[in-house]
Amino acid sequence: MKVDMKLQLRDVPGSLLRALEPVSVHGGNIVSVLHSREDGGRVSVQISFKIKDQSSLDLIKRELRKQNIRLSEILLEGKRYYSKKTLSFILIGHVIDTDIRGTIDKINDVGLVSDIDVIMPSPEKRSSVMMNIDIDNRKIKKLNRLINEICKEKKFLVIRSLEG
Amino acid sequence: MKLKNIKLTIIGFGEIGRGFARVLLEKKRFIEREYEVDLKVVAVCEIGGSIIDEDGIDLEKALKLAENKELRKHENWTSMKALDVIKKVKSDTVLELTPSDIKSGQPGLKHIKESLMKGMHVVTSNKAPLALKFSELQKIANSNKVKLEYEATVGGALPIINLRKHALQINKIESIHGILNGTSNYVLTKMAEEGVTMDVALKEAQEIGIAEADPGYDIKGIDTGAKVAILANSLMDMNVSFNDIEITGIKDITPEAIELAKKHNCVIKLIGDVNRLEVSPRLIPINHPLNVSGAMNAIMINADIAKNITIVGHGAGGIETASSLLSDILDIIS
Ligand SMILES: NC(=O)c1ccc[n+]([C@@H]2O[C@H](COP(=O)([O-])OP(=O)(O)OC[C@H]3O[C@@H](n4cnc5c(N)ncnc54)[C@H](OP(=O)(O)O)[C@@H]3O)[C@@H](O)[C@H]2O)c1
Repeated sequence: MKVDMKLQLRDVPGSLLRALEPVSVHGGNIVSVLHSREDGGRVSVQISFKIKDQSSLDLIKRELRKQNIRLSEILLEGKRYYSKKTLSFILIGHVIDTDIRGTIDKINDVGLVSDIDVIMPSPEKRSSVMMNIDIDNRKIKKLNRLINEICKEKKFLVIRSLEG
Repeated sequence: MKLKNIKLTIIGFGEIGRGFARVLLEKKRFIEREYEVDLKVVAVCEIGGSIIDEDGIDLEKALKLAENKELRKHENWTSMKALDVIKKVKSDTVLELTPSDIKSGQPGLKHIKESLMKGMHVVTSNKAPLALKFSELQKIANSNKVKLEYEATVGGALPIINLRKHALQINKIESIHGILNGTSNYVLTKMAEEGVTMDVALKEAQEIGIAEADPGYDIKGIDTGAKVAILANSLMDMNVSFNDIEITGIKDITPEAIELAKKHNCVIKLIGDVNRLEVSPRLIPINHPLNVSGAMNAIMINADIAKNITIVGHGAGGIETASSLLSDILDIIS
């Protein structure tokens, strides 16, 4: 699998080498490295490499994070890669006129509402709103708690996806 | 060939009791040949009394009378109630098939306890006693050296308890998700496929005999909750009761929500989630194995070694459920 990774490194000797090490340790076969100095003592590095599977990528990512290296973008086979999930929810209730903007803002504190679809039969009736929320795997519980709170406060029924 | 006599007492001669009797008649020869036993029903208890015959009741006749609600015209009819029959008539296995009352667990609870304490095995389709008092009842069974089997309580004909017991012994069960109630699944399927409201779908379910006159248990998720409690105890060794299950039913689901799900290639199903001890409507992708339609039930388990397994089938019906009851009875014998 082909991976393109953008990293932000501090402009100090040896930082590039330290960043490349986890890639080769976990079986990554480096194809190219591009780097450019930026303002503020930072270097932006774009590494392309090949790996056997997604779990090696997760190991590499974990290692880089441990070193406090900022990953600004990862493309796997040319597509944006998250150890994130997109979870779908349907909210049923007076979702629009109980400050939907506020609801979305609250959710965006934990994840990111990346898609929204609404059916509103008539203003006085309950509407049904489907949301896709991009969420870091480790924050799923937090998101669920938040959605429960919102539903309790605004009297919504929530329909979660199976993995949500 | 000398057949071993096995005596059975049937308590509750409704849909399930009669279905069991019919299947017993149909499979009589097969069971004799394969198991070398003669399953003899020595007592059939109804709410108002019982028929008792230690030599074995003629089930064909009992069925005919029961269909015309004339069981009391049987020559062996007595006004003796089930509890007294358990105390006085010795049988090997008692089938407890009375209605489920999830508040009290009665009358099943007292029937099961008394039978176990009298040293008789119990096979039941009655969810409430197990959903409320699973570990207590198992303890009573163990200390009396008899068995309490309950395959029919979850998913009707689906062999979920026995699948775990006989085929997945070495596995740790990591999660269980199930569509465990035919009525609510029928209603949600109708709403999705035909765009009708819940009331219309429910009425139709009642007309074709899937839903009870009072479908509250099904629609509110209570029936599913009882099954989640049983699965949690039985397959995941959690010591919990029905009252620990968090339940949200399907009654507040709007046609618009179903339409939205459909637009995004999903369906809404009432799911029992055993890990979370939760019953709630959930969104699942159209091509997911749990997306079964109509009154079907489906259970998906994820085990550490075997990984994902899904079974699909009839979660109700007197005849279908008899498959599970007989499986338990034959299991006890062998
Ligand atoms: N139907 C299914 O497909 C299905 C599937 C799996 C599990 N189950 C469970 O199996 C059990 C039986 O279901 P069912 O559909 O057969 O119900 P049912 O048709 O209502 O039959 C229950 C029978 O038990 C009798 N009964 C009530 N109280 C009694 C008592 N104290 N002593 C003796 N008999 C008594 C009833 O008599 P009366 O009619 O005179 O009240 C009735 O004949 C329930 O717990 C149900 O939840 C049912």
